[in-house]
Amino acid sequence: MNELVALSNGLAAAVQQTSQSIFAVTARRRTGSTGVHWRPGLVVTADHTVQTEDDIVLTRPDGGSVSATLAGRDPTVDLAVLRVDAGDVPVARIGDSTAVQAGHIVLAVGEGPRASWGVVSSIASGRGGPGRAVFDLDLTLYPGFSGGPLVDVSGQVIGINTSGASRSQHLAIPAAVVEALLDGLQRRGHIPRPYLGVSTQPLRLPDALRQRMSLEQDSAVIVVAVQPGSPAAQGGLMIGDVMVSLGGASITDPMDLRRVLQPDRVGESLVASVIRGGEPRDLHLRVGERSR
Amino acid sequence: MVTDLSHLAERLRLITAEVADSGASLGSGVLWPPGCVVTNAHVVRGSRAAVRLVDGRRLEGLVIARDTDADLVLLRVLGTGIPAASIGDSAPVGSLVAAVGHPLGVRGALSVGVVHAVGPIRPDGRSWIQADVRLARGNSGGPLADASGQVIGLNAMVVGPLALAIPMREVAHFVRTAGVAAP
Repeated sequence: MNELVALSNGLAAAVQQTSQSIFAVTARRRTGSTGVHWRPGLVVTADHTVQTEDDIVLTRPDGGSVSATLAGRDPTVDLAVLRVDAGDVPVARIGDSTAVQAGHIVLAVGEGPRASWGVVSSIASGRGGPGRAVFDLDLTLYPGFSGGPLVDVSGQVIGINTSGASRSQHLAIPAAVVEALLDGLQRRGHIPRPYLGVSTQPLRLPDALRQRMSLEQDSAVIVVAVQPGSPAAQGGLMIGDVMVSLGGASITDPMDLRRVLQPDRVGESLVASVIRGGEPRDLHLRVGERSR
Repeated sequence: MVTDLSHLAERLRLITAEVADSGASLGSGVLWPPGCVVTNAHVVRGSRAAVRLVDGRRLEGLVIARDTDADLVLLRVLGTGIPAASIGDSAPVGSLVAAVGHPLGVRGALSVGVVHAVGPIRPDGRSWIQADVRLARGNSGGPLADASGQVIGLNAMVVGPLALAIPMREVAHFVRTAGVAAP
């Protein structure tokens, strides 16, 4: 048997095996999505495909329907965790996503099962927030593939695919990020929702200011509202402050701010570097938790 | 693997014909069964077509059967001197597939992908081999083959990033209905 046939058989076996551990997820209108039975009773999917917290219905690989509840979500990495009575549906084989390199052949699997293949085109460190990499994929994520498994040639799940809310991206959240989220969920019983109590808008930084402050970024965010009594207010943040970094990560737009506010940072004190009245100053903000 | 892939491409080019009818339409066809070339009905609208083989020879093909609904046409093409393609059953989801054709006029172009799904696109529709492989105009009628080089489908349509191929089982049924032996 030549190598090509061996690879082909391996890919087909990987799809067949993974398909035993995936659910079709119905938690939004129109297109459904896919979810991976990651740990017993916990199904991981893409957060942007979960638009309801009630009436979440999962379809088992054998076609049977079962209802699920939202166990927690982390919009900063587009992950949601659903709790379900999975019955005899096996959990997926999870691989070591830290060993993944650009150029590795991968498969995306959607409910059906359906499949597409391609390669990891790059590993963008920090795109999922500080210390969190995201896999950029050169493959097609077909409708309904978001939330489904990214599978390596040995059939192990190394990430969760997402086309993003815009449906135009081809990304996967590495398995290690999912594991950390599930560890936190099982430790605390829920996934905390971090909260600062601030509204911001993107702001272009004038060249003169950038030079004077030795800033490489050409944009930041300006504070347009601070909720009274919130962690932001308690930390001394004021309307009109220009925030250039938080917790050591550059803030170039409001999305960056959301990426920093990962669930495991609740309770942490972060340094916010702001410009107020043309002068730099550091504020200490303790990340709060939004009530459930 | 690279060597295997180029062997596969060579093997498929041998059994892939360039098919042009009297209009401007240019497509592909598969040398199968022996003495014939099978292609899509939308590639050959008239009663004959010009068939160009991999070695550059041009032969005439006569339409001996047509099924517009199935989008299939069978051409009698004599004297190719090339052994007919070997055909196989559909491959499971995730299997490697290769297509050869003349997309946008590029001769003998190879595309490689995987089986995306097998079945109808819409409920109660006809069953397709749906392949995650990039094809274009000019691939129509050409082979979709598995990793061992067996032709499993006839490429017929492109829907977004998906290629739809008519399963060879269906093609064989069409050929037999035309009274031609389909090995």
